[in-house]
Amino acid sequence: MNIGDKDNICTKDMPTTCSSAMLADYWSPFDATVVDLLRQSGAGIIGKANCDEFGMGSLNVHSIYGPVVNPAFPTDDIRSAGGSSGGSAAAVAAGLCNAALGTDTGGSVRLPASYCGVVGLKPSYGMLSRWGVVSFADSLDCVGVLAKDVDIAHRVFNTLSKYDGQDSTSASPETREKAQRACEEHMQSWRSRRDLAGLRIGVPQEYFPASLSPASVDGVREMLRALRERGATLVPVSLPNTPYALSAYYVLASAEASSNLARYDGVQYGSYIAITAMCLHVRPTPHQIGTPASTYALSRTQGFGREVKKRILLGTYALSADAFDNYFLQAQRLRNLIRQDFRDVFLVPDPLLLSHSPASVDGVHALVHPSAVQTAPPLPDTNVISEGDSLGAYVQDILTVPASLAGLPAVSVPARGKNKQGPVGVSIVGQWGCEAMILEIARVIEGSVA
Amino acid sequence: MRVLSAHTGSQLLYDPKDARWPDWEIVVGIEVHAQIKSRHKIFSAAQTSGYEQVPNTHVSMFDASLPGTLPRLNPRCVDLAVRTALALDSDIQTRSTFDRKHYFYSDLPAGYQITQRYNPFSKGGYLNLTQSGVSVRIEQIQLEQDTAKTAFDARRRVLSIDLNRAGSGLMEIVSKPDMRSPEEAGDYVRSLQAILRAVGSSDGNMEQGSLRCDVNVSVNRPGRPPGTRCEIKNLNSIKYMMIAISAEVFRHISLLERGETVPQETRGFHEDSHETFKLRSKENSPDYRYMPDPNIPPLVLCSEYIERIRGSMPELPAKTRIRLIKCGLSDRDVDVLMIVDSQKEVGFDGKTGGGIIAYFDELTKENDAKIVVNWDLTLSLRLTHELLGQLTRRGRMFQQNTIPATQMGELIQMVQSGSMTGDSGKELLRFLLDNPSDKPAHQLADELALLTLQDSALQILCRDVVSSSPTEVKLIRKGNMKIINKLVGKVMKKSRGRADAQATLAVLEGLIQTP
Repeated sequence: MNIGDKDNICTKDMPTTCSSAMLADYWSPFDATVVDLLRQSGAGIIGKANCDEFGMGSLNVHSIYGPVVNPAFPTDDIRSAGGSSGGSAAAVAAGLCNAALGTDTGGSVRLPASYCGVVGLKPSYGMLSRWGVVSFADSLDCVGVLAKDVDIAHRVFNTLSKYDGQDSTSASPETREKAQRACEEHMQSWRSRRDLAGLRIGVPQEYFPASLSPASVDGVREMLRALRERGATLVPVSLPNTPYALSAYYVLASAEASSNLARYDGVQYGSYIAITAMCLHVRPTPHQIGTPASTYALSRTQGFGREVKKRILLGTYALSADAFDNYFLQAQRLRNLIRQDFRDVFLVPDPLLLSHSPASVDGVHALVHPSAVQTAPPLPDTNVISEGDSLGAYVQDILTVPASLAGLPAVSVPARGKNKQGPVGVSIVGQWGCEAMILEIARVIEGSVA
Repeated sequence: MRVLSAHTGSQLLYDPKDARWPDWEIVVGIEVHAQIKSRHKIFSAAQTSGYEQVPNTHVSMFDASLPGTLPRLNPRCVDLAVRTALALDSDIQTRSTFDRKHYFYSDLPAGYQITQRYNPFSKGGYLNLTQSGVSVRIEQIQLEQDTAKTAFDARRRVLSIDLNRAGSGLMEIVSKPDMRSPEEAGDYVRSLQAILRAVGSSDGNMEQGSLRCDVNVSVNRPGRPPGTRCEIKNLNSIKYMMIAISAEVFRHISLLERGETVPQETRGFHEDSHETFKLRSKENSPDYRYMPDPNIPPLVLCSEYIERIRGSMPELPAKTRIRLIKCGLSDRDVDVLMIVDSQKEVGFDGKTGGGIIAYFDELTKENDAKIVVNWDLTLSLRLTHELLGQLTRRGRMFQQNTIPATQMGELIQMVQSGSMTGDSGKELLRFLLDNPSDKPAHQLADELALLTLQDSALQILCRDVVSSSPTEVKLIRKGNMKIINKLVGKVMKKSRGRADAQATLAVLEGLIQTP
């Protein structure tokens, strides 16, 4: 099998640049665990895929290599491939490889999958090893899989889903086993049947905001109809804290990013900017010249792109002594509420909880909702990206960040074939460790499209 | 609030008056950073380094902060930290967490240090000071990473970075402000060093930087609340720490006596001028932007684990002292043994033993089992002292002793049973130090002709002496008994120390037929 690798996942035989000037000539001395597992299983890594710098972005326009063009559209209609794993999704959509690795921190696999018309799986947090994955926000980062179809995604996932002692957040074999038992137990009632009677699908009302484009609504509506026709029960559910997810996500992810990117300071990475550098926006004041602080400031100013710098500043502020309680801690509280929202609607108990809380009988097996508020937007002219546009880009993540905050598995499947407005994806979200279940439902949806 | 520990039974009432600053009281608290004596670093598989390592040879990809690397907590570091907490009667927390402390500096490749800011693994506790008996309360103990080392070559204008130390495990032990003089502060650090070394959690070596101190100092008029404190950073010897505290006290007093206030500051110390100097004020103290480390799950320590560590803890110095005194050793003997023992090398990952007390214990244990009669403690202590003396004469540390305890035990037993005289025992001991051998002591004694002369051989020797000393024999027979000691001496000399003095006397008395 030919597999592409996102450029923020380390390979020892190819550069790993994270699409950043800071790591422009960086070659990792080791393979990431996921790359290693792929190679061991006989897959070939065909190359590294473009992405948003350090995984930060929703349109794959923040890259030293330039934006990724969406191959699902005609050549005269230049659209974004989505981000941040845009290169991985485009490579699969263009038929360059059977599957590609991506990373998903707040939707970076599911969003490009939706835009490019491919399958995008973000596994449960801790299911795939992060050893060798360049950190953006460690508590949210997941290695994900982009693939031509659900079966390939599933096969790649099975190959990679192994406990790794090098990653302390990797789920233990016991937890995996516990989750698998719970998952299979809850699939028994409907998997073996010809119809899906017994399968309960939750439709979360908060995932249909006013800004949702008709294409997205239509996509998910058709899929829900198909599921119901096969015998599944559709249940309207509410995840009341969803509206806070985006804000909580941007505080937490940016805070962690500001920490993780501190190591890129011009000493080990990036170009060590001497005081003669005059091409900067911020000229050093005379008293800064020659101090270590000026080296760091100038090197980082030069080495990071706009979006990364913006998030580092936001995250640095969120962690400052004055803001920590009101931003970081508050966002953590919201994150817990969002996790609880999901627990409240799932039939499958959360295997990560020590106490076995019996799930409500009127709960659901999985949630189905649109992957994105719209189809792939036209690629903005990189010269005219304004502040307003970037806020628009953040809103792209509104439907994907809750599962990221809760650490839950989610898969985006193309809801319709190619049409004028382009592909649109439908997301299925399950309880932690229920990859087999959401992929089974994804297969049904995939079948109804074909 | 002074608490004198119970075991001193001291009648002394604390007198806060200090002749150096009679109108003032001082308050001192200490933060100690002690390097954990583990074989590997706290979050990586790289080996820890001593002074002698070539720079940048003990560095893992994680220590160098390569992108994509992740921390993995070394359980040995936790074991040793828990030993320390137990030794300080600190309350080990069931659940503790790790945080990142951020600042940009070339000795910190990741841009942050992993520490335990919000939930340290142990809280509270106390340390009884060895000299004064004062009990100093412990605020908390936390685990953290050490930084790299930087060296500036002024001539070449190059800053070099050595990552060998980066990521080594540290215990930060924070005291309450319970000390009232520079001497108590010195006593605290020395007492803490002894505990750390005894439990094997750190070698506590200030000269080599494996133990560093930051001290907080404030002064106040008697009866008034403590004054504004200043922190003096990075003190690398007990002597300079005490001088720095005094210097800081005098600085505060002179400010206050001039009617000025003491600004809260972080200060350094010049070892040459004996003065502290301002590093930064409270206003421009850095914001470390602490954040929970998302890569390290909470550390959960269950009571079974803590009990297991407690069960395998080496003996604490105070307990050793009591035990040895109960064995019948004098205070002075115990002092000697404990001083020598405290200089033993601390093993990696909690491996203890190898000190003179363990050696002495083994000697006594070994022989208790073998012989029914009471083990001659005085004799083994005498010979242990002889061993120490001979080692010192040869310029060796106790660690370089080449006589295993079993061999030494056998030697002592031979002297005790009379099969070798004390002098011969010492000679064999010297021989073994210069010619280490794994042969049994009795075989060596035999080969070297050091065994006590048997009756017949002693008889022959005595007869020779009697027949060659007619004058002396005559005098003895007349009743001048003192002369017989001269003959005993002659026999001893001829036997080269192998004759037992008492036995010789008995034989000579028989031969001369004294009145």
